[in-house]
Amino acid sequence: MTLGKTATLAFLVILAVLLFSAMGALPETTDRMEAGGPTWHILRSAVPDTGAVNLVTAVLFDYRAFDTLGEATVIFTAVAGVVLVFAREAMVLSGKGLSPLAKKSMDILTPFIALLGFYVILFGHISPGGGFQGGVILASWAILVVLIYGIRTEEDVLTGFVKMFLESAGALLFVALGAVALIGGREFLSNLAAGFSPGDVGSVISAGSIPLLNVAIGLKVASGLAMMFVTMSKKDGDS
Amino acid sequence: MIETTVVYILLALLVISGTAAVFFRRVINSVISLSVFSVTLAAVFLVYRAPDVAMAEAVVGAGLMTALFLVTISRTQGGDH
Amino acid sequence: MQAAYLAVIYLFCLGLYCVVTEKNLIKIAMGFVIMEAGVLLFLVCLASFPDGVPPIVLEGVTSSSMVDPIPHALSLTAIVIGAGTTGYMLSLIIRLYRQAGTVRIDRMGRTEQ
Repeated sequence: MTLGKTATLAFLVILAVLLFSAMGALPETTDRMEAGGPTWHILRSAVPDTGAVNLVTAVLFDYRAFDTLGEATVIFTAVAGVVLVFAREAMVLSGKGLSPLAKKSMDILTPFIALLGFYVILFGHISPGGGFQGGVILASWAILVVLIYGIRTEEDVLTGFVKMFLESAGALLFVALGAVALIGGREFLSNLAAGFSPGDVGSVISAGSIPLLNVAIGLKVASGLAMMFVTMSKKDGDS
Repeated sequence: MIETTVVYILLALLVISGTAAVFFRRVINSVISLSVFSVTLAAVFLVYRAPDVAMAEAVVGAGLMTALFLVTISRTQGGDH
Repeated sequence: MQAAYLAVIYLFCLGLYCVVTEKNLIKIAMGFVIMEAGVLLFLVCLASFPDGVPPIVLEGVTSSSMVDPIPHALSLTAIVIGAGTTGYMLSLIIRLYRQAGTVRIDRMGRTEQ
């Protein structure tokens, strides 16, 4: 064991002891949720406030929707960085894809994966799920299609314009839905206060703008992460 | 107290697979171990009543992250040198 | 609950050890993923308490028995952002491999001479 590793281990032991002693000072969860705090407020008034039954979605797309917009920007920046790093690459990894057997079985399987992704996005406000999870499911579906059918399919189906449209549509839809509230003189991204219908609580068409925001984030996450994978798996054209 | 036992088993699996991911010599073994780690973490989240987080961790950790690491390994000829 | 906090401390230190001592850049990226997992586990443990139920309003569930939804929302966004940043990190590693011919930082200077 070298000196560097020993020093690192000693540092980590000290860090662990400090962290452990700090854990004892953490407040009890039930104490933090006492009357008057933000959690107390959300647990009692989220359904009348937002119409969403799943409180995590209510926090993400209503109370803290502006943070979610910021997160969409982070994903956009990461994808833009990956595309920039591989800017000059044009050649394809696997033009033809796998064997006909794999293609036939994928023909049966792919629709169901896509269906699961759309289900998770659209039912995000009434059951576990939402735009983020469904978006990643759709991204892995796109990755599977590219792997099985070959990357040439991806370039035939998804031209530059379609990619640009998908990548921008999510973020633009999110901002546009937020801007609707500005017309009525409300805060950016406000939901029921801006006149979105609460609908029948617990059904698919309810909770005002939350399902639409879920679709926007799902588009954004799915197109961004799938594009990141496809860009990374391309072969280098200039070396 | 079946649930406590389940939590202990899952946490032990989490610690073992995480340690294995760090100390395996070949990178490909580490990636597989990291995938197991992510699935175990998703199970722990489920036991701690966070179904949304568990779903995201299962899809991202076991699906997408593994795919990204495997692409990196194939683009760097094994990732060991 | 205490066991989960011990696992959080262990995972964070394990990830940090991997980031500091590993020579392989892909392993360093894995260290970041493990550190992140430790922080996520901490957030979820902080939200939960014994006999809590998931934060989804159903009939017959009182609001005081639900776990805290705010850390869940926080960790959900952190997971997806983590995937994005890890992808960017890995793409930089691929680019670096092309320039230097290796992913090990201790061999990086030698190959170029």
